[in-house]
Amino acid sequence: MILVAKMALAFTGTIAAAGMYTFHDGIAQVQVDDNHGTHIHIWAPAAIVPIAMHVVPKRELHKFPHEAQQAIPMLRVLAKELENYPNSEFVEVRDSDTHVRVRTVGSKIVVDVVDPENKVHVACPMAMLQDMVDSLKDLQEDDDSGPTGPTV
Amino acid sequence: MNDRIRRIPAVALIAGALALMPISGSAQNSAKSSDSSTRDRWLHVRVDNPESKDEMVRVNIPLELAEKILPTIDKDKLHNGKVRVDHFDCNGVDFHALMNAVRDTKDGEFVTVQSKEQDVRVAKQNNYFLVHVLDKEDHKHSAVEVKIPMKVVDALFSAGKDEVDLVAGLHALALQGDTELVSVKDHDQTVRVWLDSKNVSD
Repeated sequence: MILVAKMALAFTGTIAAAGMYTFHDGIAQVQVDDNHGTHIHIWAPAAIVPIAMHVVPKRELHKFPHEAQQAIPMLRVLAKELENYPNSEFVEVRDSDTHVRVRTVGSKIVVDVVDPENKVHVACPMAMLQDMVDSLKDLQEDDDSGPTGPTV
Repeated sequence: MNDRIRRIPAVALIAGALALMPISGSAQNSAKSSDSSTRDRWLHVRVDNPESKDEMVRVNIPLELAEKILPTIDKDKLHNGKVRVDHFDCNGVDFHALMNAVRDTKDGEFVTVQSKEQDVRVAKQNNYFLVHVLDKEDHKHSAVEVKIPMKVVDALFSAGKDEVDLVAGLHALALQGDTELVSVKDHDQTVRVWLDSKNVSD
């Protein structure tokens, strides 16, 4: 009986630890609804994204546009510094049929776009953004230091 | 008894942690408050259409964030927080020499133009560089007012002959009090650019 209890305790502890690790960065949320009946709602633990980036083939990551690669240093600073501005509204644009908002809500950066055809809501934990940008930066540094040639 | 003795270090540890918690909390708070004093300067841009309440643009940028991000952008003529301006002279007028002369001179009006079409006034007043343009041709008059602290102007042109140092300008701006920098009013839209300590527009 005690053995079963200990096993249950170990199992519960493992699940709890795994759950805490998985969700320690929060949840990334993407919702897209359009007038054509598309409803995409994704909730994913933010910790998964940097892990997923490690398993994505490097050649796919190299398809990143040059402009996006140039923006990595800026994104790194932005991801780090935005943590200092929780609950702030940075951009709001509204016209007769479109409404765009970029803001921080707690530790998440939230982008909302509403137009007559689409409704998009993206909430991304800043820790996830930092991890992602760091991974891309590492990749860029590997490229700079490594031998030149086609990537496999 | 043994159990009690064994528990003492754990209890002491928890009690110690609880006792220290408010102190470390207040220490964090004081650090935060000193941080926030340099961090709470926000540049706001607001564009409204007076004829339609549905159209508006609000941009709120913390100056410290802008100061840190600008040097990371390396695009076209913007490098290391500075904009390179080729041939920084206006029809033979040395712009830097002109700005130096404006800085060194006393308060006063430098340019006053009054015509049927528009009034223009360029002046220095209480360490601010002022530009005022009133367009009278338009049925509903349009007006542009620019009010830039001289320290910001100095900082902007401190880098070199053909460069505008945006980071230095923002840094100088962050040290200013709440102020309205730009105001544009016409029948299509109103634009305001101002500086304060709020993280939202009015």
